[in-house]
Amino acid sequence: MDAAQAVHEKFLAALAGGRLPDRVDAPDPAIVGLSRADATDIFLSQLTSRQMDRLSRHLQARGEGFYTIGSSGHEGNAAVAAALRVTDMAFLHYRSNAFQLHRARSVPGQAPTWDMLLSFAASSEDPISGGRHKVIGSKPLNIPPQTSTIASHLPKAVGAAFSIGIARRLGMSGLPLPDDAVVLTSFGDASANHSTAQGAFNTAGWAAFQGSPMPLIFLCEDNGIGISTRTPTGWIEAQFRHRAGLHYIKCDGTDLVSAYAGAAEAADYARRTRRPVFLHMATVRLYGHAGSDVQGAYLPKALIEADEARDPLLAGAALMAEHGWMTPGEIADAYEEIGGTLARQAEAAILRPKIITPAHVMESLIPPKREVARPNTPSAEDRKAMFGSDAGAMDKPQHMARLLSWALADLMLAHKEIVVAGEDVGPKGGVYNVTAKLHQRFGSARVVNTLLDEQAILGLAIGMAHNDFLPMPEIQFLAYVHNAEDQIRGEAATLSFFSDGQYTNPMVLRIAGLGYQKGFGGHFHNDNSLAVFRDIPGVILAVPSNGRDAVAMLRECVRLAREEQRVVVFVEPIALYMTRDLHEEGDGLWTSAYEAPGDGTPIRLGQVGVFGDGNDLAIVTYGNGYYLSRQAEKILAGEGVRVRVIDLRWLGPVDADALVAAVGDAKRVLIVDECRITGSQSEALMALFVERTPDKKLARIAADDSFIPLGRAATLTLPSRDSIVAAAKELLA
Amino acid sequence: MSVRKTAIVVAPGRGTYGKNELGSIARLHGARFGDLIANFDAQRRERGQPTVSELDGADRFSVGVHMRGDVAAPLIYTATALDFLGIDRDKFDIVAVAGNSMGWYSALALGGAVSVEDGFRISNAMGLNSQTHGPGGQILLQVVDEDWRAVPDLRETLLALVADIATRPGHALALSIDLAGMLVLAGNEEGLAALLAEAPPTPGRDPLRLAGHGPFHTPLMFGSSDKAMAELPHSLFHRPALPLVDGRGHVWRRHASDPAAIWDYTFGHQILAPYDFARSVQVAVKEYAPDVVILPGPGDTLGGAIAQSLIGIGWQGILSKADFAARQAADPILLSMGRADQRELVTGTR
Repeated sequence: MDAAQAVHEKFLAALAGGRLPDRVDAPDPAIVGLSRADATDIFLSQLTSRQMDRLSRHLQARGEGFYTIGSSGHEGNAAVAAALRVTDMAFLHYRSNAFQLHRARSVPGQAPTWDMLLSFAASSEDPISGGRHKVIGSKPLNIPPQTSTIASHLPKAVGAAFSIGIARRLGMSGLPLPDDAVVLTSFGDASANHSTAQGAFNTAGWAAFQGSPMPLIFLCEDNGIGISTRTPTGWIEAQFRHRAGLHYIKCDGTDLVSAYAGAAEAADYARRTRRPVFLHMATVRLYGHAGSDVQGAYLPKALIEADEARDPLLAGAALMAEHGWMTPGEIADAYEEIGGTLARQAEAAILRPKIITPAHVMESLIPPKREVARPNTPSAEDRKAMFGSDAGAMDKPQHMARLLSWALADLMLAHKEIVVAGEDVGPKGGVYNVTAKLHQRFGSARVVNTLLDEQAILGLAIGMAHNDFLPMPEIQFLAYVHNAEDQIRGEAATLSFFSDGQYTNPMVLRIAGLGYQKGFGGHFHNDNSLAVFRDIPGVILAVPSNGRDAVAMLRECVRLAREEQRVVVFVEPIALYMTRDLHEEGDGLWTSAYEAPGDGTPIRLGQVGVFGDGNDLAIVTYGNGYYLSRQAEKILAGEGVRVRVIDLRWLGPVDADALVAAVGDAKRVLIVDECRITGSQSEALMALFVERTPDKKLARIAADDSFIPLGRAATLTLPSRDSIVAAAKELLA
Repeated sequence: MSVRKTAIVVAPGRGTYGKNELGSIARLHGARFGDLIANFDAQRRERGQPTVSELDGADRFSVGVHMRGDVAAPLIYTATALDFLGIDRDKFDIVAVAGNSMGWYSALALGGAVSVEDGFRISNAMGLNSQTHGPGGQILLQVVDEDWRAVPDLRETLLALVADIATRPGHALALSIDLAGMLVLAGNEEGLAALLAEAPPTPGRDPLRLAGHGPFHTPLMFGSSDKAMAELPHSLFHRPALPLVDGRGHVWRRHASDPAAIWDYTFGHQILAPYDFARSVQVAVKEYAPDVVILPGPGDTLGGAIAQSLIGIGWQGILSKADFAARQAADPILLSMGRADQRELVTGTR
């Protein structure tokens, strides 16, 4: 017999035969503050969740449902929902049906079972994902949708919780998370082992250990197994009972009163002390990991039976019967009635519209634009006061690092919701001084020195963005982003897509990167591949090549994040930070005077930069490649070759029309790409020109597929001024 | 075994017992429910009020008499409750109950949260009680076109205007009932006058002031709320026997609902805040997916609002008045007991 059916029949038989478990050791509902109405309502949500699991399997068998990872055995999380407020944002894992169903009980006008059935059926009317994924999530219920990347939602829960304390320090109000909110995030015992989860526990503990507010509940729903691998007995408790910065609470999720008591204690603790709690809730996993999983193949029968005996519905039924709130007969009737109702709903839900065009699928890749509060427009006096002695230097030519630091200061002055966060960005001002003086000017609530964990930095940004901050996280070196890339790839970039544009996490992620650092640093400080960002739908990738552009582009990036809710990656070429000269020492051609906000020409998304109008050759490049190409151009010009040099500026998305227009009547196109050739921009550009301008002669040079060595060898694998000149001549020949 | 159809029942509110309904209580229910009618009559007599039988049996319909709250409410309640009792339960499995405005009091009784007799007591008391308010009333405005599709932006524009007027000194104005295709707005005389003067043109008939109606479902009704709480005790309320969907779209489940909480909602929020009828119907059909919606009680005027609520969510592919009419002709989804042909389908008797 199907395992789900077996559990179902056992429950009915227990009700019919009066064989309900003994609740002798379980707490009394009155003592934990649970009324008859509340306890019964939780129990009904649990019955509903269970029947939905059964239904999802039936729908899948008919080809009408597309998701069978269920919540059976985890229905204790309905009691957690009861212990929290709807304004307590919840980042939930995938066995949380009962939580969502029950939270909906506190928001009148919700149709939670219907909504969830629409998601089972992948209907475009599914109110959370628009039919794109079966996710637990809801905008009115403050449950941002999570996908199933294990534990990758924990860092942002930490960030969201952290943002509550920051908002209080800054006196901000009217944010999605009220001042007294707590944040909940749930996961299983197996996911608790994931390095991402461990990083989140560590970050929350690290912050709380030094007194930073962190009103957060880590809810570990411990069913003792991850797919087929059992968690060692006692492992979770042994790990977390004494972990620094975390307060440990244990409860039994198979008994709704115990679950409620534990959750209420956790919520009270987190709300009152603003410190993180690890709520360890025992659960069971009934009938396997998902619909296709037969747990009898890897678990002893006795263990399966022991888990089934701890079915939370049995304990709930015992509670009801014990207090005379529902008789076993009434429970059986209610359970069958719920099943019947769901079956009717499902027949209606599967008829609802589906997504049928690619355009509709992709509609929410890019978030909707939003109305934003007008920025604070600082007066000249405000700016003068902020910049102090720097003001006098502003009309003198400066290098990119300094210009960026001033642009950041101006942006933070204009937009109170901007928070800068990263390793050493505080009093030190970052490794390259780009965040210099920001800490002094805006304080530690807005310039956050983080711990050494890139997942934590990006999670902080994503979580803060959920609470309407505009984070500008910094990753110290491009190579460091790789251990955390899923926070962008799997989390930040997908949020709008999976929430049908309802949840967004706009941010401007600044990363120092790329090569040419005169032999210093080796590979990990000179990483020259941007491929990690190039294939993520919806993410914007900007690479400025000079200070003036960098300022204008950073302002555009902030506008894109604020007004268009975009996730923007802004890669700053380290080698050009302090570069002052282009052709010869002292020419100062790579510096510029600072343009105050509103001055100068804006650079909009997709706009390319063009130097010269030569039509013998167009060099298409970006970043350090642009700098070197400008040097090459002078040499070529000296030999009578008329060259134009085009700076892409925006690598994702490339505005193909603008680029083709910029190339114009140039007869030849040379692509210069400082990144490793495989996966580099040059690949896409070659394809673009072949398709769009087949009449032009085309060539490229790019970096070799190598890591960067130290010393004089550092640039051997990279394009150089001379190799550009040589490639140009070859193309001209 | 016959296959029963599932049904939700939606109890109508004020303005449904009209000239055509005069005598209908005696005619339709006199024989079968004489005892209950006698009980209702006795309750009225005890309070020195003309009885339901007298009012229903009047020679002619009088707007001045029959439309007054203390008369209309008990008549509507009686017709609704007795119709409900007449539904053929061998044919229909009633899966949830909702109501519109004073129809909520009827819904309480239909769903078993109060007894049928106490339902009368509450409706009767509230009919009188609802006249306890300052000067003001309700205005009805249409926000859908002739095919019952939403006129773009009209609802938002009106609600923005209402919010704006409400901020002006001496003006009270708020949404009272959302009927999907129509909005009932309520306020004091200043608020209503400003609305009439400034409202953009709306489709259908001119904005209609509802005769004899107070500023129901707004804070101006606080006197009524206080009085209801003082007069009508908790003890009248029980755990419902059927799920009840209230004027917020909240579902009061069987077994779990606290009678004191239903009491509190009924005489608090329900009186003082907007009644979202459209939402209640939409939640009821989504969460209970019934085969049909039964509209008991006098007349069938609420049928339009029910249909428009279904159109609002494209329920079962019904996207317009024409779709609804086609569905009604082929296999009716809405059964109005005030219409003889549909009544027969519901009661199984002529």
